[in-house]
Amino acid sequence: MAVGLHRVLNVVVSLGAVLIVWTLISVFNLVNPALFPSPLETWNAALELMRTGLFLSDLAASLARAGIGFAIGAVLGVIVGLLTARVPAVQFVLGPFLTVLRPIPAIALVPIAIVWFGIGEPSKYFVIAYTVFLAVWLNTHHGMERVPWTFVLASRALGASRVREFIEVIMPAAAPYIVAGLRMGSALAFLSLVAAELSGASSGIGYRMQEARQYIRTDIMFVGLIELGILGALLDTGFVMLSRRVVHWEDHA
Amino acid sequence: MNDGLIEVRDLTIRFPGRTGAVALSGIDLTLQPGSFTAVIGPSGCGKSTLLNAIAGFVAPSMGTITLDSITIDGPSPERGVVFQQYGLFPWFSAAGNIEFALKRFGYPKEQRRREAFAALEEVSLAAMAGRFPGQLSGGMKQRVAIARTLAGRPKVLLMDEPFGALDAQTRMNMHDLLLDIWERRKTTVLFITHDVDEALILADVVHVMSPGPGEIIASIDVTAPRPRATLRDADDFVRLRTQILDLLRTGAS
Repeated sequence: MAVGLHRVLNVVVSLGAVLIVWTLISVFNLVNPALFPSPLETWNAALELMRTGLFLSDLAASLARAGIGFAIGAVLGVIVGLLTARVPAVQFVLGPFLTVLRPIPAIALVPIAIVWFGIGEPSKYFVIAYTVFLAVWLNTHHGMERVPWTFVLASRALGASRVREFIEVIMPAAAPYIVAGLRMGSALAFLSLVAAELSGASSGIGYRMQEARQYIRTDIMFVGLIELGILGALLDTGFVMLSRRVVHWEDHA
Repeated sequence: MNDGLIEVRDLTIRFPGRTGAVALSGIDLTLQPGSFTAVIGPSGCGKSTLLNAIAGFVAPSMGTITLDSITIDGPSPERGVVFQQYGLFPWFSAAGNIEFALKRFGYPKEQRRREAFAALEEVSLAAMAGRFPGQLSGGMKQRVAIARTLAGRPKVLLMDEPFGALDAQTRMNMHDLLLDIWERRKTTVLFITHDVDEALILADVVHVMSPGPGEIIASIDVTAPRPRATLRDADDFVRLRTQILDLLRTGAS
């Protein structure tokens, strides 16, 4: 309880301090207000977006893209990770290829995604799923390789079948790595979401910011940036809480 | 418990790989049903390899190992293993770990629960049934691990420096507990250690190994009645200890 309170206080103090500095910069006109909106202007821009309904529709569009892209990438990542770690032939064929894919950033895929899938939703899913997939695959593969051999020997000496060994020993032993991969993937889903929306979209948080550029509405851009920051932080916090439950034994191991 | 005769004949084990260095050479060893045998030797002498071979974790390069005249060709719950690093599954509770071993009997769930609880009672840990390994002390972990291995009803108990990571007091308690269980169950025990006193307190016969390539250079019968913890300073005990320490020091018989 005391730890929770401390954390809340930490967040309030840190963000409060930033808000105060931001207000002071605006009040004393330290920077050109057209380039650097005040907290009040930013708040008003947020209210304006809410009034017109764009705030919610952008949020819904972005979350749906991130969610669907994440789901596709995560499922494929876990499956391929299990295969490359457990089936040498799959690793032989796919391993080097995936290693070459890894350094390609999501944003570099946007042009080809648009050519392949058009500017509709599928191209966003593709870009997001690709990024999530690589993170989840890598962590899953890594986790499976790091299953302590003692666990496997103990399982076999206790008469467990290979199926039970996989489900009750190898999967839980790799779970902390898989969950870490999913957490990283969820953060990457947001990064690649913005990359996907910055070109060829007609809704979403990233699109709204890109549109605001044309009217030099820095206040709207700030709304989008803050929204992304809060969403990402909430998502990550949620993931940490969820993983504490899923891999509960990691806390006291 | 019936039988439990282990016969190792002319066992040679080479390490895998091109060098093919010899880990064990020409080992002959018989574990009489219901006997308590200790194997002692310096680090790297191959004593763990010997245990792993009997457990079925590594295959002989030459020679044979049989349990009740049947050749060993892999791990089996007939030969229960207790590891130095416990090998408990951290994602299962203490009771869950024991249920893992009980699953092979195909009991109904309720009976499995009861038997797991009874197994924990045998090592005086019934109160810890719901705790996870990460919440238990080293001594408790090893007691759960022993209970788990016994739950699979092994004919032979293979213990690889099981108390090496425990403090002196806990170690002494574990010796009492182990001898207690052994006298009740009459399981054949093979106990690997590098602690001379531990070998002399526990075993009927102590085999001394020399390093690289591992060979048994002496076999010493210990006939003193148990419990022997109070005999540490007795003349016979001191003589045996000196004899074994000399063997370990010179590495020759």
